[in-house]
Amino acid sequence: MTTTIKEIEGNLVAIFEGRLDTAAAPQCEKDLQPLNDCQGHDVILDCTSLSYISSSGLRLFLSVLKKAKPLGSHVYIKGMNADLRNVFTMTGFINLFEFKD
Amino acid sequence: MLVEGASMVQYWYASKKIGQEVRQRAETELRAKSLEIQNQLQPVEVATQNIEGLVARNIHRPDTLKVIIEKWLDRNPSILGLCICFEANYFPERGRWYEPYTLRRSNGKYAHMQLGSASHDYLSSDWYLQGLKAMDGRWSEPYMDAEGARAMVCTYTFPLHDRSGNLIGILGSDVSLEWLSRVVNATHIYPSSFNLLVSREGTMMVSPVDSFVMRANLRDATSKIKDAAIHNLNERILSGESGHAVIRNEQGEREYVFFAPVKGNTGWSMAVVCSHKEIYSGLRSLLFRMLMLLLAGLALLSFIIYRAIKSFKHIEEVNAVQNALANELNIASDIQMSMLPKTYPPFPDRDDIDIYGFLTPAKAVGGDLFDFFIRNEKLFFCIGDVSGKGVPASLVMAVVRSLFRSVASHEASPERIIAHINDLSVDNESNMFVTMFVGVLDLPKGLLRYCNAGHDAPLLISKDVRSLPVEPNLPLGVVLGWQFKGGEIQLDYGTTIFLYTDGLAEAEDIAHNQFRRERIIKEAENLRDAEGMARPEPLITRMSDAVQSFVGEAEQSDDLTMLALQYTKEHHAAILTRSLTLTNDLKQIEMLAPFVEEVCKSLGFDGAATMKMNLAIEEAVANIINYAYPKGQEGTLHIDAEANDERLKFTISDNGSPFDPTAREDVDISLPADKRPIGGLGIFLVRQLMDSINYERVDGQNVLTLRKKLEPTQ
Repeated sequence: MTTTIKEIEGNLVAIFEGRLDTAAAPQCEKDLQPLNDCQGHDVILDCTSLSYISSSGLRLFLSVLKKAKPLGSHVYIKGMNADLRNVFTMTGFINLFEFKD
Repeated sequence: MLVEGASMVQYWYASKKIGQEVRQRAETELRAKSLEIQNQLQPVEVATQNIEGLVARNIHRPDTLKVIIEKWLDRNPSILGLCICFEANYFPERGRWYEPYTLRRSNGKYAHMQLGSASHDYLSSDWYLQGLKAMDGRWSEPYMDAEGARAMVCTYTFPLHDRSGNLIGILGSDVSLEWLSRVVNATHIYPSSFNLLVSREGTMMVSPVDSFVMRANLRDATSKIKDAAIHNLNERILSGESGHAVIRNEQGEREYVFFAPVKGNTGWSMAVVCSHKEIYSGLRSLLFRMLMLLLAGLALLSFIIYRAIKSFKHIEEVNAVQNALANELNIASDIQMSMLPKTYPPFPDRDDIDIYGFLTPAKAVGGDLFDFFIRNEKLFFCIGDVSGKGVPASLVMAVVRSLFRSVASHEASPERIIAHINDLSVDNESNMFVTMFVGVLDLPKGLLRYCNAGHDAPLLISKDVRSLPVEPNLPLGVVLGWQFKGGEIQLDYGTTIFLYTDGLAEAEDIAHNQFRRERIIKEAENLRDAEGMARPEPLITRMSDAVQSFVGEAEQSDDLTMLALQYTKEHHAAILTRSLTLTNDLKQIEMLAPFVEEVCKSLGFDGAATMKMNLAIEEAVANIINYAYPKGQEGTLHIDAEANDERLKFTISDNGSPFDPTAREDVDISLPADKRPIGGLGIFLVRQLMDSINYERVDGQNVLTLRKKLEPTQ
């Protein structure tokens, strides 16, 4: 899987492509490091091309949220498919994030 | 005059009161001594009654029997030896007389010998013939130990029945009575009063005249007494009456004799003899000191009043104690019943097992038990019967039930469960033993492993009704370290295991006929023939109706317990099996998705269902790789997928350290982001996605089993 960070319209956008499973999580975590310093920018996690996420991926999402919130940034999730949304519902993550289409 | 008159009245009154006082003291003395003798003898009675069942079970296994008797003598140091006297020609090859005897030698070792012979013809001896008839046991006449210390010995006999209830002989426990005169003479109510103890036949067992002891009969010992009342008195004593009499002794002096039988079934009687002169000596001199008498009378009166008040108080106390006891017994009964499973069906959401249990104690509390629970897809169950009844048995029952629960919570082999409970219960002070059957049924496979500790073999009801072939072994609590042998059997769909305690087979009608195993089998067969199988609840209802109508008006003599378990898992042929082996490297998780997707595709899962399965398996595997291996240790995981037309099952085995992922508590998914812990989600997801998850440690491996019911749409 690949993770790309772009700055689009003042927001930090992380674009995920492929399967975010336990094997892929360590690399993804490194790729997400630029988001740690999101001072003044909102964060968008673009899941349009993400086909799968396991708890290791959810942990990364949670960690992004935990760092961004105290800095006053919003974290949005964008373009999530129904299967992923189901996982977010099951784990209660659906209530932690804001969603954007 | 007035004072004189008053003092005469006082004298009359006081002498009467003194008479009453003496009587009270003598009766108290008799009661106390009787109780002390009983305290000495009762353990022997209980121990002998308790070993009877064990002897009966092992009559045809002489070597086992020797071990049992030696261990039993070890635990009953007051018993000198045990004989088993069989009815004439019971073993045709051993001849008419067969009386094996085990004797404790002075060096602590045991000697086994055979005593019966034409010259030692126990079959026509009184103690044997009486012993056969005395169903509650009987004490023989005392006799002098032929060897060694020339001590007074007595034998407690108890009838021996075979497993079908036929009388086949008696057991005899020899006990030394060297303590007897010490106990009887420990106190005397007056300085010159003395105590007597005589046997059922009148033999003097305790007497102030040494030469009478064991040599003279009461009638001979009193032959020099001229008073005609002595004959009547002797007969009253020997016929077990209690009361008092005044007689004139050899010297013509008046003596008060108080007598009563010793409680229990010894047939012994005890008497307290006090001199009239001694009792009233003080009173005569007081006649001449009227004022003193008045004062003494007043003092005596107030003493009597004090005693009377005290005795009223005592009665109240006794009543209060009795009420409290009855109340506590009710509570005990409730507690005991609450230890038994009582919700039926116990596992409503399972379709592979149906269970029904039933227990009625003969008294408020009893010594029967049964229990069952499911752990790691295995059904653990047991039935047991503690020797004896009532409160002592119920305490042992509670202990055994707790032991079963705690041992079976970490041990899956029935032999080891039984052996473990045995080793923990051998040292019970009361010499109780427990017959028990423990079964462990592998619910997915239908494989029943079991071990029997001296309990009746359960019935297997399927196409026919037959006994489960069991090794009888020994009851629990008899021999430390006994190697229990178990067995195993594959159960087919619909097979019912029926377990019961003695109380069913040995339920008696008024004429003492027993219900017997044949009737149990017949009832089971009839039900099976009528309904094609024996479902647990109808089976037990039918059995309990049958035994009730058989017993009729007779009082329930023993605790009655039944437990029926039916294996109801339908066999489904496997339609898919796949497997995958990984090393404990998180990178290898990449290999999981293709494996799981292939399995799901073969079963026709849609995309959403496939993703759920992917997620569940990945979470389970990641958990194991993360937690079951110490850092740097390499290992392998095997994943087996198996499906039939009902369920898909994944079994993940790894060779890591013991790690039970299911022991982890669920995360709280309602917490806000800043309070959400980072970990714990994985196993939570597995639980959400699968129908069942079970962990087991088998042969040094962690085995995690995940199941998902197949939906028709998939």
